[in-house]
Amino acid sequence: MKQKSRWKPWLYCVPALLLILIVIAFPIAYTGWISLTNMNLYHWTDYGFIGLDNYARALFKLDSGFLSALGTTLVWTVLNMAIQIGLGFFIALGLNAPGLRLKRVYKTLLMVPWAVPAYISILLWRVGMFNTEFGILNKLLSALGFAKVDFLAGNGIAFLSCMALNLWMALPFMISTIDGALQSVDGSLYESATLDGAGFWVRTRSITIPAIRPIIAPAAVMTTFITFKQFDIIYLLTQQRGYMTGATLNTVITYAHQNAFASNNYGLSSAVSMLLFVVIILFSILTNRSLRED
Amino acid sequence: MKKGIALLLSLALCLGALAGCAPARSQPSAGPAGSPSQPADDSKGPVAVTIWHDGDEGIMQTIADQVNAQLADDQITVVFEKKTDMPNQLKLYGSDAANAPDMYFYAHDVLGTFTAMDILAPLSDVVDLSILSDHLSMTVEAGQIGGVQYLLPVYFETLVFLYNKALWEGDIPGTTEELYDYMAAHTDTAAGTYAVVNQHTNAYNVSPFINGFGGYVIDESGKPGLNDPKTIEAAAYNQKFGALQADGDYNTVTTLFNEGKAAAIIGGPWLVSGIEAAGIDYGIASLSDIKLPNGNGLAPFSGIQGAGVLKVALAEKKDAIAKVLTAMASPEVGVDLANKSGCAPANNKSYDDPQVAGNEMIAVIQKTASTARPMPNIPEMNAMWSPAEAMLTAINKNGADPAQAAADAQAAAEQAIADMQ
Repeated sequence: MKQKSRWKPWLYCVPALLLILIVIAFPIAYTGWISLTNMNLYHWTDYGFIGLDNYARALFKLDSGFLSALGTTLVWTVLNMAIQIGLGFFIALGLNAPGLRLKRVYKTLLMVPWAVPAYISILLWRVGMFNTEFGILNKLLSALGFAKVDFLAGNGIAFLSCMALNLWMALPFMISTIDGALQSVDGSLYESATLDGAGFWVRTRSITIPAIRPIIAPAAVMTTFITFKQFDIIYLLTQQRGYMTGATLNTVITYAHQNAFASNNYGLSSAVSMLLFVVIILFSILTNRSLRED
Repeated sequence: MKKGIALLLSLALCLGALAGCAPARSQPSAGPAGSPSQPADDSKGPVAVTIWHDGDEGIMQTIADQVNAQLADDQITVVFEKKTDMPNQLKLYGSDAANAPDMYFYAHDVLGTFTAMDILAPLSDVVDLSILSDHLSMTVEAGQIGGVQYLLPVYFETLVFLYNKALWEGDIPGTTEELYDYMAAHTDTAAGTYAVVNQHTNAYNVSPFINGFGGYVIDESGKPGLNDPKTIEAAAYNQKFGALQADGDYNTVTTLFNEGKAAAIIGGPWLVSGIEAAGIDYGIASLSDIKLPNGNGLAPFSGIQGAGVLKVALAEKKDAIAKVLTAMASPEVGVDLANKSGCAPANNKSYDDPQVAGNEMIAVIQKTASTARPMPNIPEMNAMWSPAEAMLTAINKNGADPAQAAADAQAAAEQAIADMQ
């Protein structure tokens, strides 16, 4: 009887497990298998097992360019996350200010960037904001008598432009998460603190932040990974074929794409993907450990 | 009881999730709405031949209308299906009998990639190659890999000089130096008005300079030529033109021309529908009439658009595909394409039609074909576009030293080609 009941919960979970297996585990395992083969343009259907050769070649690709891309990715992730959490927190606090009118309207409007598909947002920003001829920013600069600026040409300015777009796209999620977390804080704590003479900063530091931290931590971790493996914003704004801007900005993913995926060598590309997968898993373990220590 | 139902539901969900894993039956793909269903054997009834493309829908409709009219008695219908980034889609599905199309329609430069993947059938396996006897030799040769004909050329295109008659002052310059002087005198980048715009970081659009200087992007043996002294010379010479040609991406330059902010644009017949829709009275000149300092005319790449046959389609539709190829090779398709879409036909006999012979765009394309070079169609060409564009972008947008940018791009191209293996 005991034996039976031990298996039953697993049986109920079989559909979900099966789905996870098909959607997540199978592609990873299949990529792992392809990385051990010579599947490329010249062996599209007749590919065979070649051991770890692709990994040797992929590791060779982790050269100075990769290290520079890794550095850029870390700076990109840290800056984006710091601004997202900081700005998101204060905007969410503002949205929860007592007496604020039309707060539902503001919250709905703030969700718009999140609701627009990323590809469309990026193209809109590329043409509507940053374009030297038709972008709003250059129209404003021209109207004020300044020279045109190519916001995507140099590495520094392209980094800031990409970051501005990333923040525009990602902030709604962080704001809504923090907003939700703020709703769960017991109002009586603030009342007691106010009676004890605590000001805004003290209340924020001693009540708000400790109370919402466990709630926003998973969202922050998830967003950190999304930011770390950012590809579409940097690729579509600065590297897409036919629209290269001159910036040589790379994150680890765009670097891997540039160096392996453009060659139609699926074996090599898969090996690079698996190595990146390991890097991201290690990053995840470290982050989770630091969260637990907190 | 509840537990039993829950278990049953779990089982049903599992089966449902796995339903998609069922082996594909050899059921033919659905044709268009209202089209006849396809039998397994094309000799027994109506057959629909599916052709994937990534081009202008109007051009494909023109081809479909003419071919379908010719094959009405045979009960054969061609169905063009537009696929975004078609070459990559064909890489995924080209050898999959259940999902691959029967044929594809695209430019000849991807031919090497598809033949390396071994997904195409030589045309001689399907049809007598005498159907190409009236075709321009340049177009026929562009459809060959290793002397084997894989592509049926239907029309060809190249870059021309399109100008707004209301904005352009005087004659079209006869030399690039005169052109530059005109540009320098008639361009105001701060005001956003330009004399000539071009996609100056795109290797296809800079090819008139590269080929004209005697440089090359990649040779027939697969050796990249980005650091060839002639290519570097061409890229360095193009730099001063790029500085007066706005951002250089496709959307920017076409919008500038269509909005009357640029007096001329270097582009192809694919721009004509947009220009006409914008109500611009435009003229066309051949790039080969504009001479470089070395005396050579500008020599753009030419692209040959045509149809290839997927190997996996032969088992069931070989006869139908042979008839489609024969109809597509007919001069009537070329005449319709020329008159309706301004395409230069690959079939020489199409030019006997007086309307085709009198078409200005086609006359200019034909003239430019004398100096134009067909794009390389070897598989390695696929890996060349990005390094070439990176080189031109570095030079034209970041002011990089042409020799250094060329050396970097050459190294990237060689690495990309090595990575293909």
